[in-house]
Amino acid sequence: MASITLQEVEKRFGETAALRPTDLEIRDHEFLVLVGPSGSGKTTLLRLIAGLETLTGGEIYFGDQRVTDVDVGDRDIAMVFQNYGLYPHMSVFGNMAFGLRRRRMDRAAITDKVQEAARLLRIEHLLERKPRQLSGGQRQRVALGRAIVRDPAVFLLDEPLSNLDAHLRVQMRAEILKVHRAVTATAVYVTHDQVEAMTMGDRIAVMSDGVIQQVGTPDDLYDHPVNRFVAGFIGTPSMGFVECAREPGEPDLLTGTGVRLRLPAERVAALPAKAERVSVGVRPERLTPTGRGDAESASCTIEGVVEVVEPLGSEQHVLVAVGEQTVTAKGPREEHFEIGEKVVFALDPGHLHIFDAESGEALT
Amino acid sequence: MTAPALAVLALVIGYPIVRAIILSFYHYPLLSPFRNFIGAGNYQRLANDPVFWQSLVNTGIFTGASVVLGLLVGLVLALALERLQGPWRFVRGVLLTPWAMPVIVVAFLFQFMFDEQGGITDALLQRTGIVHHAIPWLTSPNWAMVAVTLANVWQQAPFFLLIFTAALGGVPNEVIEAARIDRARGWSMVARIKLPYLRSAALVGALLMIIQNFNNFPLIWAMTEGGPGYSTSTLVIYVYRLAFTSFNVGYSSAIGVVWLVLLLFIAGWFIRVLRGQNS
Amino acid sequence: MTTVTDTDTAAPARTYRTRRRLPIARAVVIVVVALFAVWTLWPLYWMLSTSLKTSREATSLTPTVWPHSLDGSHYTGLFTGSLPFTNYFVNSIFTSLVSALVAVLISTLAGYSFSRGGYRLNGALSLAVLATQMLPLVVLIAPLYLLLLKAHLLNTYLGLVIGYTSFGIPFGAWMMKGFFDGVPREIEEAARVDGYSRFGILFRVVIPLSVPGLVTTGVFVFMNTWNNLLYPLTLINSDQKQTLPPGLLQSFSGTFKTDWGGMMAASIVTSLPLVIAFFLVQRSMVRGLTAGALAGT
Ligand SMILES: Nc1ncnc2c1ncn2[C@@H]1O[C@H](COP(=O)(O)OP(=O)(O)O)[C@@H](O)[C@H]1O
Ligand SMILES: [Mg+2]
Repeated sequence: MASITLQEVEKRFGETAALRPTDLEIRDHEFLVLVGPSGSGKTTLLRLIAGLETLTGGEIYFGDQRVTDVDVGDRDIAMVFQNYGLYPHMSVFGNMAFGLRRRRMDRAAITDKVQEAARLLRIEHLLERKPRQLSGGQRQRVALGRAIVRDPAVFLLDEPLSNLDAHLRVQMRAEILKVHRAVTATAVYVTHDQVEAMTMGDRIAVMSDGVIQQVGTPDDLYDHPVNRFVAGFIGTPSMGFVECAREPGEPDLLTGTGVRLRLPAERVAALPAKAERVSVGVRPERLTPTGRGDAESASCTIEGVVEVVEPLGSEQHVLVAVGEQTVTAKGPREEHFEIGEKVVFALDPGHLHIFDAESGEALT
Repeated sequence: MTAPALAVLALVIGYPIVRAIILSFYHYPLLSPFRNFIGAGNYQRLANDPVFWQSLVNTGIFTGASVVLGLLVGLVLALALERLQGPWRFVRGVLLTPWAMPVIVVAFLFQFMFDEQGGITDALLQRTGIVHHAIPWLTSPNWAMVAVTLANVWQQAPFFLLIFTAALGGVPNEVIEAARIDRARGWSMVARIKLPYLRSAALVGALLMIIQNFNNFPLIWAMTEGGPGYSTSTLVIYVYRLAFTSFNVGYSSAIGVVWLVLLLFIAGWFIRVLRGQNS
Repeated sequence: MTTVTDTDTAAPARTYRTRRRLPIARAVVIVVVALFAVWTLWPLYWMLSTSLKTSREATSLTPTVWPHSLDGSHYTGLFTGSLPFTNYFVNSIFTSLVSALVAVLISTLAGYSFSRGGYRLNGALSLAVLATQMLPLVVLIAPLYLLLLKAHLLNTYLGLVIGYTSFGIPFGAWMMKGFFDGVPREIEEAARVDGYSRFGILFRVVIPLSVPGLVTTGVFVFMNTWNNLLYPLTLINSDQKQTLPPGLLQSFSGTFKTDWGGMMAASIVTSLPLVIAFFLVQRSMVRGLTAGALAGT
């Protein structure tokens, strides 16, 4: 019903380019998550889709209809705001019915709709209350309810969970997905929290500096980040990076302080010949400590000094200084590390992410 | 929607200003058809008009004294009453009453209390032996200015009490608590922590009151009509006299223009100070 | 550095000072408050007690602090005597109310468009408002007088209301802007998403949320017009249409000079509407007066 297509969409506020020319294709019924650090232009992009901001360039299509110049109220969208944006002077019922009244729906139908949405969100008992008499989680539900009663084609959410406590956040995450499945609208969901993005998105668009860096499924982004930014942003704890240089005369060997990586032939072939300085990323769960003896025989090793050990109950994170950089290793709690201890990790070369040291682009 | 709003403002503000500026270049008797363009004539006359200069000085004294005294009284009261709770807040409410009173009533009241024959002020001062002879509050040039200023402070101090109370309410609790942990108490709490928070309230309040007192026609007019002589004649009184007693609208407009320029400078300075401290 | 180690090793047992009460400070506060209370309340008391004295006692050359007997004849005299007090009062109420309503209506529209009109307009509005506030009424009055003269509106209620309203609008717009600025943008955007037009949003969402602001602005204009001596003094010249300030001033400086009792009774009745209105909106009044000033800079 409503796929969303952005063509060369651009937004500047005077001098600042909040969003550089962007192409994006959001499929019908999809749950797309926009994720990125604060100030990266997520809200701007969402508001452009909503029609709350006017574009400085480009076109937006819903389905095959051009909506670039269509006013917000006529775009058939619903939006959930970060601070909910509930009407303080109206009851919960009034808040949810407000948009329907505008559409001149008859009274009984409005009541039915609101009741139905309230049931789905389990807020039937709150319908007579004013927003200020509700808890944060309840307000969140009302805001969701207000959005879904309208049966919108497009469902836009701007950091809807950021004002909730951690426990409630996890719970609401599931509820939003449930609601999305129930209403089957196309949803665009903005968050700065990559865990939220990974757990909720059918696909994820990672933004930084007004540019969409990569779009893909959660696994795609995790396994094949296209640049250092995406690699570092997705996943907790973050991917660790070490700077390396290629040995002259030995094209398959990358070395740096404490780092010695011998690449298999197929990976060497993928590297451009002139890539002399590279940045190598390793996911924490791929770093397995080894004894000295095993290290001799391993083709890829990283060696460093333990700086911090973070026990987490089920596992532990070990922050290790490798030369100037710090990498994190994730492992079972049984392994014991002393602060200041020297450790060596052996690696499977298949799990290395190699990036150009200058541009940060992935090289494989 | 912005355009009509601007248009309304332009009409309401722009028209009289422009008209006043134009009038200031004319010899323009209000009631006779004989009027002519005289260029800067009104402005030249103004430079050599001792009554204008006296009125200007009077305006400065009246405004300055009223604002300074009112501000101090309001500040002290706001700090002293800050911790009133429950029904006691009623005290603050009562102390605000003068500000809500019509100016003309304040004028009547003080005229009555400062009356030389049977006024309560002189009666009390004499009965308690503070003075031996009745003070000619409204009939001597020097005392008349004191009398109108006192009446004005009585009415306006509550305004400062009001805005300082609001500003004190705006001091974040965390700051007060942090200061208490740092052992700030009593006077040092007031001077080092609270007063800085009151600065912009003081500036805004003072600016509003300066403007208001420059324009304070009813109080002085009702109490003294600017007299005796010209001793309490402020600019507003003088302009009114010129326009509606001498019917010399051109000259009165010239004074108005000068006065507007003066106030714009004061306001500009205030805004600069405010901006400076906000950033 | 040695001192640090000294205290570290040989730290004396910490003594905790209990919080000292400061009886002197407290006494000073009480005295200050009491003094100011007397300063503020005495004139009010004097007004009230004089209005309740008999004429003879009120005008006595040796004033009595406590009235010998209470007498309401000054009040009844206001409405039955030869002073056309009722007439002034009705005229004041009528013109002030109409002016307040009209000014609030226009200020609301103007204030809203300024509030949402972006940053650049803020400066323009604050400047315009400051300019009108600073513009001496007396200077405004000459052009206004000439304008109304030409339009044959001198000595009419309409002319007076035009004068009051035009003076009330700029500051009113400024106050309303301050209140509208306090309505979160998200709420309005939610209404836009719900499909409402700009006016729909204004009347169904923004205004219901700004009722305190509307009332405050209305009261502010009402207070200003109720207080206005200059406009009616110059624009109205018949006793029939005169309002309270010039009416009372002319009466009590002429025919009724030194009728102190009557003057104080008239003062109290004249004050009541204003004092009541003020206390209704006291809290939001501060916000209205200062919020705009701070935001506008
Ligand atoms: N109304 C605005 N005026 C000027 N700059 C803006 C405005 N809105 C956003 N920006 C700028 O655009 C950039 C992107 O902002 P935003 O989309 O809100 O980021 P995010 O939602 O990812 O935190 C920021 O640098 C921000 O300062
Ligand atoms: Mg954002």
